[in-house]
Amino acid sequence: MEKIAITGLGIVAPSGIGRRQFWANIKSGRSFIKKITRFDASKYPSRIAGQIDDLEKYSSFSERLLKKIDAFSHMALIASELALQEAGIDIKKEDPNLVGIFLGNAIGGWLYAETELRDLYIEGREGVSPYMASAWFPAAPQGQVSIHYGIKGFSKTVVADRASSIEAIGYARKTLNKGKLNMILAGGMEAPVTPYALLCCNTYGGLSVNNENPESAYRPFDKKRSGFVIGEGAGIVVLEPKERALARGANISAYISGYGTSCDGQDRINPGSDGTQLARAIRTALKDAQITAQEIDYISLDGVALDIWDDSEIGALKNVFGAGLKDIPVSCPKSMFGNLLGASGAVDLVITVLAMENSLIPATLNLETPAYPGLNYVTPEARERKINKALIISRGRGGINSVLIVEKT
Amino acid sequence: MDTKTKIKEILVKLLKVKPEELKDDAKLYDGIGVDSTEMVETVIALEKEFGTKLSPKEITKFSSIDDIARVIKSKISA
Repeated sequence: MEKIAITGLGIVAPSGIGRRQFWANIKSGRSFIKKITRFDASKYPSRIAGQIDDLEKYSSFSERLLKKIDAFSHMALIASELALQEAGIDIKKEDPNLVGIFLGNAIGGWLYAETELRDLYIEGREGVSPYMASAWFPAAPQGQVSIHYGIKGFSKTVVADRASSIEAIGYARKTLNKGKLNMILAGGMEAPVTPYALLCCNTYGGLSVNNENPESAYRPFDKKRSGFVIGEGAGIVVLEPKERALARGANISAYISGYGTSCDGQDRINPGSDGTQLARAIRTALKDAQITAQEIDYISLDGVALDIWDDSEIGALKNVFGAGLKDIPVSCPKSMFGNLLGASGAVDLVITVLAMENSLIPATLNLETPAYPGLNYVTPEARERKINKALIISRGRGGINSVLIVEKT
Repeated sequence: MDTKTKIKEILVKLLKVKPEELKDDAKLYDGIGVDSTEMVETVIALEKEFGTKLSPKEITKFSSIDDIARVIKSKISA
């Protein structure tokens, strides 16, 4: 398959909104995981998160629109606007039939849904906002961004738990390679810091309950790991065929050159314990990119910080990279701001592109005593390193394995 | 407060529009840009405010503020 150009980055995360603020915080290695303050979370086992408190400050969208949508659509609108601005694209000047949008999401818009469900039970049917029907479901952000920009081309929302956004980006790349569209907004968004969504995440049982030490709670691959911490936000990029991006003189940040996916098919929650299928997804992505494992010079880890997930991730890497693994820097920057679930892979893509641009690999926080020694972990600080080819791993519950390969221009 | 002023107040509150944008002859769809869900919300709010049922035939997206006021007045006085 042809390489697909990334020409614009849009990031909305606890570590910052917009590439400048976000990258400044990521490269400094600062933690943005704190006690949840949006609502009273004191009775939840895990009550810490990467929370965005000042979304409105960065928003140019009308109050009339905002009252109809959930926070996850708002995040997607801001990230799309940032990505399009950076790409220098005015969609009004594009053929709308040849513009698409491919987004990933895991849990939907619960901040809106919870409020309306409460009203349903207290006030009855007439107490529920009519916007409820179009605000909560996972494809709502795709719809809202499409309406806002008049996007009319082939589009999709992918729901594949935490792997959703890498699946959406992989699917977008395939679609562009088939020549169906001129450009795609691709990525994901998630807003799980709400009472019901947090309850579901807690019920799943994978969250760290180290509430007294929020900044050191999320510690992927560390011996004292205790699960992940949720975060909210969106990562959306502009994708275009290489020829079109070059022809219009776009500033190409990087290329997506490979994508691989597989399913473990073993358990409804946990992955396969040996990482065999993740290894297969990695090999598929390498083959797709027509490169060898030895050419990869940075690996962005999924890092769920639970035994079976970390075990199988490292198992898959050892399976594919063998003895050469010790020479490849690996990192899990989401330890700074939380796991954005369905948006986590897209945010990892944004970080990887920024790391390539700046020749600086962000750190994994709290990786003090590696549970798997011998790997080339970037910790506790960012490390200068030229990156030409990077591999991003994103995995979802039930054993969804998604891998993306990104190349420098 | 007359019917038309009450209708405008409801629209300002619901649609977050400025009062000066609401001309008497402004149609819900063309003039004010009401979408399908805003139509539902507007009709529910009008029914609640004026204590009368309004059918989709009586209030449509082509109704102006003048038209709505006329329908509501005739319903209330009937």
